[in-house]
Formats: sequence, C-alpha cells, structure tokens
Amino acid sequence: MGIYSEEISNISQKSNENLFDFATVDEQKAEQTGYSNYSYWRSTWQFFLKNRIAVFLLVVVGLIVAFVIIQPYLPYQKSPTEIYIDEQTGSQARNIAPGSEFWFGTNSIGQDLWSRIWEGTRTSLFIGFVVALAEVAVGISVGALWGFSRKLEAPITQVYNIVENIPTTIVLILMSFILRPSISTIIIAMCITGWVEMARFIRNQIVILRDREYNLASKCLGTPSYRIILKNLLPYLISVIMLRMSLAIPFAIGAEVFLTYIGLGLPISEPSLGNLINEGRVLMMSPDLRYQLIFPSVVLSIITIAFYIIGNAFADAADPKNHV
Amino acid sequence: MWYIGKRLLQSVFTLFIIITIVFSLLRLMPEEGYLGAAAEKMTPEQQEIILTNLGLRDPLLVQLGNFYMDLFKGDLGTSVTYRTDVPVTTIISEKIMYSLFFGLGAVALSLIIGVPLGILMAHMKGRWLDRLGTGYIVFVVAVPAAVYYIFIQMYVTDIFNLPLLFDEYNKMSWILPLTSMALAPTASYAMWMRRYMVDELNKDYIKLARAKGVKERTLMFRHVMRNAFIPMAQYLPATILFTITGSIYIESLYSIPGMGGLLVDAIQRQDNSVVQGLVLIFSSLGIIGLFLGDLAMALVDPRIKLGKGGSTR
Amino acid sequence: MRKLWLLLLAAMTALVLAACSEEGGESSGGEVAEYRTVYSGEIKTLNYLKTAEANEFAMSANLIDGLIEYDQYGIVQPSLAEEWSVNEDNTVWTFKLREGVKWVTNEGEEYADVVAQDFVDGLNYVLDAKNESSTAWIATVVKNGDAFYNGEVTDFSEVGVKAIDEYTVEYTMENPTPYFLSMLNYVCFFPVNGEFLAEQGEAFGTTKETTLYNGAFILDKFESQNERVLVKNDTYWDKENVFIDRIRYKYNKEALTVAPELFLRGEIDSAEIPTSVVDEWFNDEEKKSQLRQIRNNFYTYFYALNFNPQFDAEYEPENWKVAVNNKNFRKSLYHALDRVSAMLTTEPFEPESLLNNTITPKNFVDVDGVDYTQLAPLADISNTDSFNADLALEFKEKAMAELDGKATFPVKVVIPYNSGSPDWANRTQVVEQQLENLLGADYIDLIVEAGPSTGFLSEVRHPGKYALLEANWGPDYADPASYTDPFSEGGTYNKPELAEGYTDTNGKSKYQNLVDAAKAEMDPAKRYELFAQAEAFLIEEAFVIPYAVGGTGYIASKLNPFEAQYSPFGVTLEKFKGQRLLDEPMSNDEFKEALAAWEQERAEALANAGE
Repeated sequence: MGIYSEEISNISQKSNENLFDFATVDEQKAEQTGYSNYSYWRSTWQFFLKNRIAVFLLVVVGLIVAFVIIQPYLPYQKSPTEIYIDEQTGSQARNIAPGSEFWFGTNSIGQDLWSRIWEGTRTSLFIGFVVALAEVAVGISVGALWGFSRKLEAPITQVYNIVENIPTTIVLILMSFILRPSISTIIIAMCITGWVEMARFIRNQIVILRDREYNLASKCLGTPSYRIILKNLLPYLISVIMLRMSLAIPFAIGAEVFLTYIGLGLPISEPSLGNLINEGRVLMMSPDLRYQLIFPSVVLSIITIAFYIIGNAFADAADPKNHV
Repeated sequence: MWYIGKRLLQSVFTLFIIITIVFSLLRLMPEEGYLGAAAEKMTPEQQEIILTNLGLRDPLLVQLGNFYMDLFKGDLGTSVTYRTDVPVTTIISEKIMYSLFFGLGAVALSLIIGVPLGILMAHMKGRWLDRLGTGYIVFVVAVPAAVYYIFIQMYVTDIFNLPLLFDEYNKMSWILPLTSMALAPTASYAMWMRRYMVDELNKDYIKLARAKGVKERTLMFRHVMRNAFIPMAQYLPATILFTITGSIYIESLYSIPGMGGLLVDAIQRQDNSVVQGLVLIFSSLGIIGLFLGDLAMALVDPRIKLGKGGSTR
Repeated sequence: MRKLWLLLLAAMTALVLAACSEEGGESSGGEVAEYRTVYSGEIKTLNYLKTAEANEFAMSANLIDGLIEYDQYGIVQPSLAEEWSVNEDNTVWTFKLREGVKWVTNEGEEYADVVAQDFVDGLNYVLDAKNESSTAWIATVVKNGDAFYNGEVTDFSEVGVKAIDEYTVEYTMENPTPYFLSMLNYVCFFPVNGEFLAEQGEAFGTTKETTLYNGAFILDKFESQNERVLVKNDTYWDKENVFIDRIRYKYNKEALTVAPELFLRGEIDSAEIPTSVVDEWFNDEEKKSQLRQIRNNFYTYFYALNFNPQFDAEYEPENWKVAVNNKNFRKSLYHALDRVSAMLTTEPFEPESLLNNTITPKNFVDVDGVDYTQLAPLADISNTDSFNADLALEFKEKAMAELDGKATFPVKVVIPYNSGSPDWANRTQVVEQQLENLLGADYIDLIVEAGPSTGFLSEVRHPGKYALLEANWGPDYADPASYTDPFSEGGTYNKPELAEGYTDTNGKSKYQNLVDAAKAEMDPAKRYELFAQAEAFLIEEAFVIPYAVGGTGYIASKLNPFEAQYSPFGVTLEKFKGQRLLDEPMSNDEFKEALAAWEQERAEALANAGE
C-alpha cells in the first residue's frame, strides 16, 4: 500500500486540470474493446486440428465406430455366432487360416473371426461408453457437491478414503463372483470403483478454480453464479471431463480383459475383445493359430491408443490457457 | 505430532469400515463354493452341518464380532479352502517375499530408467527421443497390460531363448517378469517427470534465471529437478505399494508364487479368512502409502506443513 | 545319512540332466526314474480324511494305502488286508490285515505299525461332523454312520466298525451292501494313526511333517504354489512293484497353456494337449508320434429334459412343461441331437470314441464276462446311435399334430451352460444351431444362457432353471444302482418322477418301481438285468439323452496307462504304483493297439475271476 499511496500522491501533486479532457463517447470503440472474435469451441477445435496424429486417430475411431455399427448390414458379412460347416467333411470349419472365405480365419468351433471381432468391438465399446458415461455422471455430481458444499465435504472425504482404499481388483472380482456373468455385471462392477477418481478430479478442479482471481473478480462485478459456473468453470472442467472420459474407455476395456483373464468375464457366446483375446491366449504356443490372438489384440490396441491420444489432445485443446 | 495421531486414528477407522464392507460382501458368495467338489453327493443335512461348522449360519454381526475379537488378538484365522487349517499369516508370509522382491525390484528398475528418461524427454522436448518416449508411454498406458504381457512372453522368450516360467534357482527366469513389471511404472515415472519438468521450465523464475545467464545444467539440476521431484515424492510410496500388490498378471503368466495370484485363488476358492487377511494387508498398505506420501511431500517441500489444508491430496 | 546321499545323488543327476537337456540329447535319467509334470490346481491339504477333491486324491493315492487295491484289469487285489470275508446277507465284512506294515514320517523314520485300530480311528474322524470331512457321505454306509454324523448317536462304539484284534477289522453295514469292497478305496476308509492324529490336532495334514505315510511314496517337498516332490518309500510293503523313484510336480498357473511346450523342450514327462493345438501336433512329423488319447473314465454325460421347469416366465416354462410331457416331442429331440457334431468341440479327431449310448458306461460291471451295457433290453440301445434325422422329423410331425392347440410353437428351450467352461459354451452353441437347423425354427427355439461359473448347480440345476441341460454323474461304487441316483426320487437332476402319465398304482413313478425292484434283488445276474431294464426304460422314454463318457482329450506322456491300477472308484486311478517310465511317449496308434490288447486280456481276466 505504501508504494502506491506515494505514487498516487505524486500524480495528484503533478496533475492539474489541463491534463484532463472529457472524451466523447464512441460506441464503436467501446464495442471493439469489449468484443473479441474469440469463441471457446472454435478455438478448441482449431487447436485440436493442429495435432495431426490426433486428428488422424479421430478419423480412425470415427470410422471404426461407424463401421462397427453398420458392419452387420454390409454385404458378404457372416454371423458372429453361427458355426460354419465345412462342405467337404460335413463337420465344423475349425481353425481355418485367414483367407478369402474367412477374412480373419475361424476359431476352434468354426465361427468367423472377422465378424466376431467386430461384434466384440461393439460389445467392448458399448461397455466402455456406458462405464465412461456413468463415471462422468456420478463423478461430476459427487465431485461438484464435494467441491461446492462445505457441509458435505467431510463425509464425502471419508467415503472417498474408504472406496479409494478397497483394492479395485477385489471389488471387481467379488462383484463378478456374486452377480451372474453378463454385460451389466461387468458395467456395475467397474462403475462401483470407477467414479471415485473422476469425483476427486472434479472436486480438486473446483476447489482450485472457485477461488481464482478471475472468479472473484466476476463475483465482485456481480456476475450471477450460474454464469460463473457456465462461462468460467465449465470450459475448464470440460477439458478434464473429456480427458477422463476418453481415458475411461480404454480402462474399461482393459478391466474387461482382466476379468476375462481371471475367468470372470463375459461368456464366450457373447463375443467381446476381452474374451476373444483370452480365447486366443490359449493358442499362444502354436504359431499357426496365433492369428486368433493377434487380430483381436491389434484391434484392441488401436482403439485404446486412439482414445488415449484423442483424449489427451482434446484436453490440451480444450484448455483455454492454450488458446492465447 | 498431534496431526499424525489424528491421521492414524482416521486411518484405523477407514480400515475398519473397509474390512466390514468386504466381510459382508464375502458372505454373499454362493454357498456351493464352500463345499467343494463333493457338494454334489452330500445330502442337504450334511451340507448344512458343514456350513454351520464353518460359522456361516451365525448372524452376520456375530461372525463379524468373532472376526474382530480374533483380529484384536492378532489372529487372522486359519484358511478353509485354500490350504485347510493352515494359519492365514503363514500362507501370506510364504508369499510376501516373492511379491516384495518383484515389486521393489520393478520399482527400482523403473525409477532408474523412468526418471532419467523423463528428464531427457523434457530436455529434448519435441525431438525424436521425446517422440519415441511419448509413443512408448502412450502404448503402455493405453493398451491393457495383459495384451502386451502375453506378446512379450510369446516372442521375447523365443528370441532370447529365455525360460517361459519363473524358477527360483534360475536367475535368467527372473529377467522377463521383472522387466515386464517395470514397463508400466517406468512409463508413468517418465510421464510425470516430463510433465513436471516442462511445467517448471515454463515458469517465470526459470525464464528469469535463464535471462540472468544461469547455465542450463545448473538450471536443470538445481532448480527444475528439485521442484519436479516434489509431486513425485507424494505418489512414490503409493506406486511402490501398488506394484507390490498389483502384479496379478505377471504372477500368473510366469507362475510366480506371490500375493496377487493368492488373492485371485483365495477369492475363487471362497476362502474368506485368506481374502480378509489380504484385504486387511492391501488396504493398510494403501493407507500407509497415502500417509507416507504426504509425509514425504512435507519433507521435500518446505512450503507444506502437515496439518494445514484438507485431508486429501 | 542315507537320505543325504540320496539328495546329493539327486542334485547331481539333476545337474547332469540339465546339462543333457541343454544339448537336446536323450536323457534316460540314469538310475533314478524321475517323473516330472506341471500342475495349476494346488492341493489345499494332505489331510486325506477331510478332502474330496481330485488334486488331493492324487496325493493320498500314492502316500496312503487302504485295505484293497486293483490290478490293471480292475480285479480286486489284497493291499493292507491280506484276506476278507462277508456274511450271508452282505452286512458284515471282516478283513485280516497284513502284518508288519509301517507308518513312517516324512524323514522315512518308522513311527508305528499299521493296525486294525487305525481304520477305526480313521472312520471316527470322518464321521465326526466337526471335522467337516467331505467324504462322510460315503462313510455313512456303515451302521449308525449317519446317526453318529447327525449327533443322534454319540457313542462311536455303536457305529459299525470294530477292531476285533490287532490285525482284524470288521465293518457292519446299515443295509446289505454287496459292493462294499469297491468303496474301500475312498479316502474315508483309509487308516490313520490315532495317537499321531491327536498329537497334531488341527495341524494334521497341513504340512509334510504333520502327516504319516504308509503308501508307495513319501512327500519329500511340499511348497505350496511352487513344488511338490514325492520319493519312493523304502519301507513300503510292496516296493518291488514301485518303479518310479521320484515324482516332481512343478506349479504353473498357466500349466494348461505351456505344458505342451515344456514337454517338447524335455522339461516335463507328461502334458495334456489342449484341443485347440491338437491339430498342430498331428500335422507335425515330429510331434505326431508323441501324443495319444486320454483314457475314458466313468463319468457319464447326458442331456436332461427338465420335468420341473422353473426358468423365467419370459421363456414360457409352462409351454415347455406341456411339450416335454409329450413322448413324441421328447423322442424328436432324442433323435435330432447330433452328438458327433457336439463332441467335435472337445474331441475333433475321433468324436465317436467318446460317445456313450447309455447312462452307465461300458466296462463298468459285468455278468460272467458279459458287459452290463450288453444285457437284454439295454443292448439294442447301446448298439445304435440315437441320432437319426428321419426319425426325428417323423416324431416332430407327430408331436406337432398331438400338441396342436395345447402348446405354442416354436417351443422355447432354455439351455444354460457354465460360463467357467469354454468347451461347454462352444458345445451349447453348436447344439443350438444343429437342433434348430434340423427340427426347424418353427418347432423349437433354443435359448442359450450363460450360467455362473461358481454356484452353477445351486443356481441353475437345483432350482430347475433349464429346459435342456448337459449334466454329468460319476459312480460311487461298483453297482448299477450308483447310476440311478440322479433320476430317483429326491434327486437333484431333471425330476423324471414328475413326468405325467407314468405313475403306477402304488403312487410311485414307473421308473422308481423298476429301480426299487432291482435294488431288492441280491443275486448279481438278476439284479443287473433288472437295472438294465430300468435304464432302458429311462432312455426309451427319452427322459434323458445319453451323450458321452468323460476323459476327453489328448496327452503326451511317458507313462503307460495300461500298467496302472484300474477302477473307477476312489483314488485308484491316481496311483503311480505299477507304472514304468517309457523312454518315448506312447503314440496314438500304439495306444489303440494297447487298448485293444488290454480289452481282450481284461475279458479273460474277468472270466477267470468269475470262476
């Protein structure tokens, strides 16, 4: 305060009325200072487009998702569960190497691996999306309450400490054991622990952001709180949410693989990337049949990596700090 | 001191609730699992007698009370279906050395590789090493571990003629499990290190120091690294513990008789006392890890004093 | 001291072996015949009086001897009992024990003699409910066994087992039990040294030190999830017939996957070859000669048609109930099931070799050398394949005509499987497709459901949440009665007693009356014939569709299975006694030759034993 008061007194001493003149109001100029052609989403998008790899992968993911949806309706597609019969021997077309008839070969009972992989991708992506959505929904609500409400802070912190410290593996295994094997079981088991991280993230962000100077300033200027939330907090959170969501999908797929690995995953009559890989794993010691492991692994790797990179790139792009 | 006491009390309370929840969940497991292969042939009366003898017919609260009474005396009970009548503590103590060895070994290995890698990447931001490193990190973090572990076991054993399985007496067989286990933590250490270094390097005081003509080396080691270490220090204990407990894949792929495999086995065989013992240990380790992390942070960072601020990270 | 030398020798041979195998040379093992294998299922205890699981049976079979054993043709031979006798009505069995058989510790030191009281102590432990023995249900065959277990009788001397003198033990039965001998190889009738048992208390059988041995082998090393080593017992009463000196079990969680590779690298002497890679082995010149089929066992697999359907209302259990009570409908399913194509999921090379046309498998019991499955009404069934597309369609037409207006078509058929078994899952999908294709989607609609991997029985089969289900059953004693249990009243299978239109005047089902009549008959020839009639009725009416016997798969092994003791009961099949290590694994052709030779020799042996 000392320094400033001295300056002020300096100024007031040296100033006289001649130095000041009334400016005429210029509407145009006022508009210019108050307005920039900044649009949050456009900037985010533009920044994102700069990341070539991410854009490429986004296209890939888009194509995969689109393909996964329309694949069954395309011509020359086989059913993922139908068992094909070898016409010469009259028995099942088992373990046929990839070729023109079966593009990715067949599995040990004569089902078409190509269509099984896309069916599996469908299942796995579905699980991933649902888990990610659920995590985001629960995580945001709990995280927001946690961050905003001072009354709820202590109890939620306690709950957080508990859920965080029960090993995820144990919950996953126990839930899969107690419930029947099905897609919903897997989703429930993953959501039970998954929201925690998300909630913590949101909460920390909110705690950090709510007392930032620009928010205080907005508040002082009389901006209503909904506007603070929408215009000041949300853009910040969106980046985090998008990041978490795009990470939740690979993690959910990974958890599904894990559950299948220890024998608690989806039944193999419902193909998923997890149980396709697990089926293929049995064959890892016989080079001729390794294609049954490699194909699903490659598809799974592409999907998880793509989501991961897109998520990170989007998080960067959505961060208003990078828009300057 | 007061703070430590309070944290300790809180931790014990948390642990108590965790154990109680897991205890109750375990009581929902299908009863058939306790009877083993012979369940099919037993009369319902015989099944009932066995279930009663196992204490499963007591009210949940009584079971819980008994469990805590024993726990208070330091008795984790005896295994039922994993290794009948053997004390849980004996079983766990047989396994823990393997997990400790591989867990700590993997963390040490990943620190030795990961931290310098992260520093180098930050240093050469945007150049090929950084890109290569980023590629590696992305791959390891994004792809489920099971997938690349399988491929490593499948191809690397072939290429280098390494043993497929862990064998205590053959040191060559230790290499692959150790390195596989170190892959993920290496990536995360490198990622953190790189991120914090880059963040630090962009800070104003560094720009000022650079402008003042401080040598790049001194800058790196004296200023940037020290500050970048602070957040790492907080996470380190937790990751070490995680590596020790979270190696289920590696243990089963290479058949290492450690704790991760024990957990899966014990749950599958519905050996409640072993699962409870393991949950107790894993959760305590987790809580201790959090606590140590905060402690370490306070030690490294003079700005932080324990007892101030929230109880979460 | 001796032991030390042995160890040293072992260590050296191991070194030499290791050196040899690096060069890929043939290693005959020198003077120590060692058998090495990997396993993934850990044993949980050595306490043979408590367990009922296959892994532990495999241990006790080689560590502990019981009263009797079998030769390689399945004929009862003396073991710890030198001779025995039974009274007129098959209720009192008396065994004269071999003298001078020793209990030894894991160090090989003699601890005590095996005496009659040891058998009493063993049964006492098993029947004491607080010990939670899993084999007590077999032991209750003795008089007052069940009463003692339930606590109705508290004085053990009232239970039907007595040590008459030091070397004579006498069992009294609850009911006439002509097949009691076949139950003696169950662990619950094994002896235990009472003094040692009391001394160890809870710790009995938890480590190699807290167990006593009287069998062909002693446990030398027992590290859970690491390694188990069995060494030959030098004090064994019949050690001339033990040809393997050491058995080494190495733990490997992924044993099923890696064992074939380890076998090829010469690291182990036996490996099961998963179906998925059998193709590759057969196509490889070098590997081709190293694998063979696994010997069939006595588990019977069948498809059960449920007469008490309790599955979800959306799949119309009432409609199924109407359909299943129509004989033509049942017969259409019976003839439509292509069992070969189902079997291809587990045995793609010779599926026929595992099919079983009856519930009781062949070679189980015989009447003067004539196999049970070849007895009068059953012979027709055992000699014809049930799959017959034309007949199936014929029955379909009849069923559709008869059920017109009563049932809605297509009939929904809920067919669950255990999601813990990939083979089962595959098979169920095959069956679904095959039946629907043959009988038409206008007739039946199979609904494949995944059941839980643990608790499958209590969640699916016991509550009747199925229409059609693959089920299995293993026999407990050498009598066809053992295979009637699942279908008798109070059974937990498909409840054929609820089938409409099969109730006799006495209020019981026709099948039940046939079985009861057979059980009452004591003359083996007549008894078996009556059982054969009952079984033929069950299959003829298509209450069940017989499918296969257990023992699927292929193995690469340096053991000759035809040297092993042969009997479906108790722990017999797990014994290493009598087996030699081959230099080369048996090929499938050799296996088949040996099997044919064995079957002939067996028939002769049985005929001789009959005289």
